[in-house]
Amino acid sequence: MNLALLSHEWLVVALGLCLLVADLWTPASARRILGYVAAAGLGAILLYSLIAVRPELQPACGNMYVLDGLALFFKRFFLAAAIIVLLMSAEFFDRLQAGIGEFYALVLFALTGMLFAASANDFALLFVSLELITVTFYVLASFQRTRLNSLEAGVKYLIMGALSTSFTVFGIALVYGISRKLNFNDLAAVAPQFGGNRIFLFGLLLVLVGLGFKIAAFPFQLWAPDVYQGAPSPTTAFLAVGSKAAGFVLLLRVLFVAVPDITAQWSRLLIVISGITILYGNLCAIPQRNIKRLLGYSSIAHAGYMLLGIAASAATIANTTQNPGAGAAAVLYYLGGYLFAVLGAFTVICLALRHVENEDIPALAGLGQRSPLLATTLTLAMVSLAGIPPLAGFFGKFLLFKAALAQGPAHPAYYWLVAAAIAGVVISLWYYFGVVHAVYWSKEAANLSPISISRTMRATLYACVAGMFFIGLCPGPLLDCAAEAVKALRL
Amino acid sequence: MQDILFYIFASLTLVFGFFVIANPFSRNPVTSAMFLVLTIISLAGLFVLLHAFFLAVVQVLVYAGAVIVLFLFVIMLLDLKAEEQRKLRTFAVIGGVISVGAILAIFLQSLASSPLHADELPLLEGGTAQLGKLLFTQYLLPFEIVSVLLLVAMVGVVLLSGKEAK
Repeated sequence: MNLALLSHEWLVVALGLCLLVADLWTPASARRILGYVAAAGLGAILLYSLIAVRPELQPACGNMYVLDGLALFFKRFFLAAAIIVLLMSAEFFDRLQAGIGEFYALVLFALTGMLFAASANDFALLFVSLELITVTFYVLASFQRTRLNSLEAGVKYLIMGALSTSFTVFGIALVYGISRKLNFNDLAAVAPQFGGNRIFLFGLLLVLVGLGFKIAAFPFQLWAPDVYQGAPSPTTAFLAVGSKAAGFVLLLRVLFVAVPDITAQWSRLLIVISGITILYGNLCAIPQRNIKRLLGYSSIAHAGYMLLGIAASAATIANTTQNPGAGAAAVLYYLGGYLFAVLGAFTVICLALRHVENEDIPALAGLGQRSPLLATTLTLAMVSLAGIPPLAGFFGKFLLFKAALAQGPAHPAYYWLVAAAIAGVVISLWYYFGVVHAVYWSKEAANLSPISISRTMRATLYACVAGMFFIGLCPGPLLDCAAEAVKALRL
Repeated sequence: MQDILFYIFASLTLVFGFFVIANPFSRNPVTSAMFLVLTIISLAGLFVLLHAFFLAVVQVLVYAGAVIVLFLFVIMLLDLKAEEQRKLRTFAVIGGVISVGAILAIFLQSLASSPLHADELPLLEGGTAQLGKLLFTQYLLPFEIVSVLLLVAMVGVVLLSGKEAK
C-alpha cells in the first residue's frame, strides 16, 4: 500500500483527531478559534496538493484507490468547500448548543469520506466512503438538537439515507453476484458480456438509485427540501456542495469507468431523469417562502443540469465525436461555479438571518441598506445560479447545453432535453429575482440596523464573489483543468 | 462428542424457540424476547459445530446483541397491557398458517431434491482465517475507513444523546 498517495486523506483524518483531542483542553470561550485552526490546516493541505501532487494515474491498495486527474480535481474542490464551511461554522457557533469542536471535527470526517469517494475505483471503497459521508451528515444535520426543525431534518435524512444505502448495497451485491468483480477496471473488462443479463442491469440500476439519492435527482429528491431547511446553515451548505459533488464523482466513475458500454445504452434514461429533475426543481421552487428550502429545490434543478452533461457524455461513447469529454468536463466546470455561488449564498444567510427563527425570504427585507456587502454577494450568487452572464453559472450552463446540442443530430431527444432545460432556466429567473427583490425593493423592512461582519467573513464573501467573477470571466484555467480531469474517464 | 453436542444444541434451539411463541410461564413479551436470545445462541452453537465460526460470531453479535436490543426497545415503547389482552384473529391465523405451510413446502421440496448421505465436507468459504486475511490485505483501506466511521458514530451518539452542557 502506497501511503504517500493517500496523503490528502491521512492529513485530514489526523487534523480531525487533533481537533477532537484539542477540544478537551480548550476553554469554552476559545473553542471558536479551533475552526480557524482547522480551516488554516485545510488551507495548508490544499496548498500542498496544488504544489506537490501531480495528476498522473497512480493506483494504490490493489487498484482500489486511484489518484488521477479526476480524483485530484474533486479533492481540491472538496478541500476548498470545507475551508469555507469551517469559517462559516465558526461564525455560526453561538447557535450550536452542543460542542462546536466536535462540529469542526465531524466536518473534517465528512470531508475525508468525500476525498476517498473522489478516488474510489472499487465498489467496496465506494460504499464505505459513501457511508462515512452520510453517517456524518446524520449527526451534522441534527446538531441543533433543541430546534425541532433540525431534529426533523436529521431523522428524515437518516431514514432516506438508510433507504438509499440499502438500495446501493443490494445493487452492489447483485453486480458482484453476477460478475464476481468489485473493481471498476475489472468490471469494465467483463461488463460487455453481461450487457443482456437482467440481474446485472438491475443491480447497476439500484446502485444508480443510491447515487441518485445523494445528488437529489428525480425521483429520489424528496428529502432535499426538508433537510436543507432544517439543518444548520453550514451543514446545509456542505450538503449542497460537498455531498452532491461526491455523488457526481462516483456517478462519473461508475458510469464511465466501470460500465461504459451499458451507459451508452442508458442515455435515454439519463435524458428523461435529467429533464424531469430540471423541471421539478424549478417549478417547485416558485412558491417557496423559506430561502433555505428554495435553495434546496434549486439544488435539485442544478443536479438536473449536471445530469444533462452526463447524458450528453453517455451518447458520445457509442458514436465517437470530435470532443467526447465535453459533457463531463462541463459538469466539472459547472460544479466549480456552483461551489462559489452556493457557499456565498449560505454565508449570507448565516450572517444576515442570525437573529431570525425561520429563514423566510421576507426577513431579508432591507438587507440592501443594512449591509451592502451581504446584499451584493447574495444578489451575485442568485444571478450566477440563474445563469446570467458574465458570472460563472452562465458559462457553465452554456457549456452543458452546447455539449448536449452536439449530440442532437444523432439523437433528437437531446434537442427536447435542452428545450426543457432552457424552460427551466427561464422559470428559475422568477424565483431567484424574488430573492433579489426582497433584498432591495421590499417595503416591509422592520429592522434596519446595520450588520457587523467579522474580518474573516468579509474575506470569505470577497473570495466567493471573486470566484464567481473569475470563473465566469476567464473560464480558461478551470476549463483546462476539467478537460484534463475527464481524461481519466473512458469517453 | 460432536453428535451429542449437536443433539443438545438442536433440542435447546427447538425448546427455546417454542417458548418464544408459546411460553407457559408468562405472557410477558420481554420474556419471549429473552428466549429468542437463547434460541439464537443455541443456533450459534450449531454453526460452530459446522465450523462456520464467523457466522456463529456474527449471529451472536448482530442478532443476540443488536437486533434483540432493538426488539426490546420496541416492546418497551409499545403499550403492553393492550397487547396482553388481545384475542387471536381468524385472519391472522389463516395468514400465519398459509405462510408457514408455504415455507414448509419449500423446505421439504429442497430436502427431497438433495441426497441425504454423508458427503465429503465441502470446502468452507468465508472462514474466519480467510476473512481476516482479506480484511487486512486486499480490503485494508475500507476496513480502516470503517474505523473512522465508527468514531463518527460514537461522537454523534454522545453529542446527540448527552445532557445539556451548560
